[in-house]
Amino acid sequence: MMNTFALSIALFLLGNLVVALVAAARGPTPADRMLMALLFGTTGAAVLVLLAAAGGGTPLIDVALVLALLAAIGGIAFAKRAWRTEEDDRA
Amino acid sequence: MIRIFALRALLFAGLWWILAEGRTDGWPLCVVATAAAMWASTRLWFPAPKPIRLAGLPGFLCYFLWNSIRGGVQVAHMALRGRTSLQPALIELAVTLPPGGARVLMVNALSLMPGTLGVDLHETGLRLHVLDDRLPIEAEVRALEAAITTLFGKQP
Amino acid sequence: MLDWLAMVLLLAGAFFFLAGTVGLLRFPDVYSRLHALAKADNLGLGCVLMGLSLQAESLVTALKLLLVWPLVLAASAGVGFAIARRARALGIQPWRKGEP
Repeated sequence: MMNTFALSIALFLLGNLVVALVAAARGPTPADRMLMALLFGTTGAAVLVLLAAAGGGTPLIDVALVLALLAAIGGIAFAKRAWRTEEDDRA
Repeated sequence: MIRIFALRALLFAGLWWILAEGRTDGWPLCVVATAAAMWASTRLWFPAPKPIRLAGLPGFLCYFLWNSIRGGVQVAHMALRGRTSLQPALIELAVTLPPGGARVLMVNALSLMPGTLGVDLHETGLRLHVLDDRLPIEAEVRALEAAITTLFGKQP
Repeated sequence: MLDWLAMVLLLAGAFFFLAGTVGLLRFPDVYSRLHALAKADNLGLGCVLMGLSLQAESLVTALKLLLVWPLVLAASAGVGFAIARRARALGIQPWRKGEP
């Protein structure tokens, strides 16, 4: 029963993630779109650990750890570099 | 100094143990990974920063955990009530913490504390975005500052 | 008993994720959306991880699950600050009460 429960929560979070991604992608500023990095890190990690509990096995926890790490690196790299060029264009 | 490095190595080996899910048959890899992590940490943290007081860690973690729960509940409440419940503002506050690890920890932790989001950190001050400036923001920030001061110990 | 507690924690986690998304949809500017995502989603993840670690088959698996949390917390706090700082540097003004 726990498996089904974990799986349904995972599906719910997936739906949640899709709605949030669409909302973030609509913008209006590039900063809003960068919120996707946060969304993927947290919701993605949650979905992965739930799938691990729903029968996917512990290797999925490693995937969640790596995803969280990449979200952190990706987000900070974006904030430091990608916007700089945009700022230069405006100047 | 040696004590700091020994603690660090122990921490890395412990992390490895958790990542390997308690299996010990891969111990040569554990040695390699710990050595690599030690090398990276001395490259990134050299000279060694002022270490935190291990005795202060449980207290800080409890403070942090409790306030991140409060922050989450508060923002969930505001989200359900919509934007009419907001009264955002940018505010400037002075920081009394010494530059370095303590300040960086503070400005990052502020994003998870109730109602505050660190926006900028400069020589003398801290710029915050607050969701509702009717809340006792300054008291919250000072409480976090006090918790971090306890964590790092009194300055010499 | 433990099963019930785990289920309650998972449901609470799902609620906080939902609240984070609602905040993202309803809050007016990037700064307040950052508040919603950083705080609500992280608490949601914390609840989910706690709930699952109560169900874990061994102590070390539970510890591994809980290890995901500080990593994501550090990631969200750092990324949140970086985004807010860049948004400010780009001159994006925060929404004030009374504006549309």
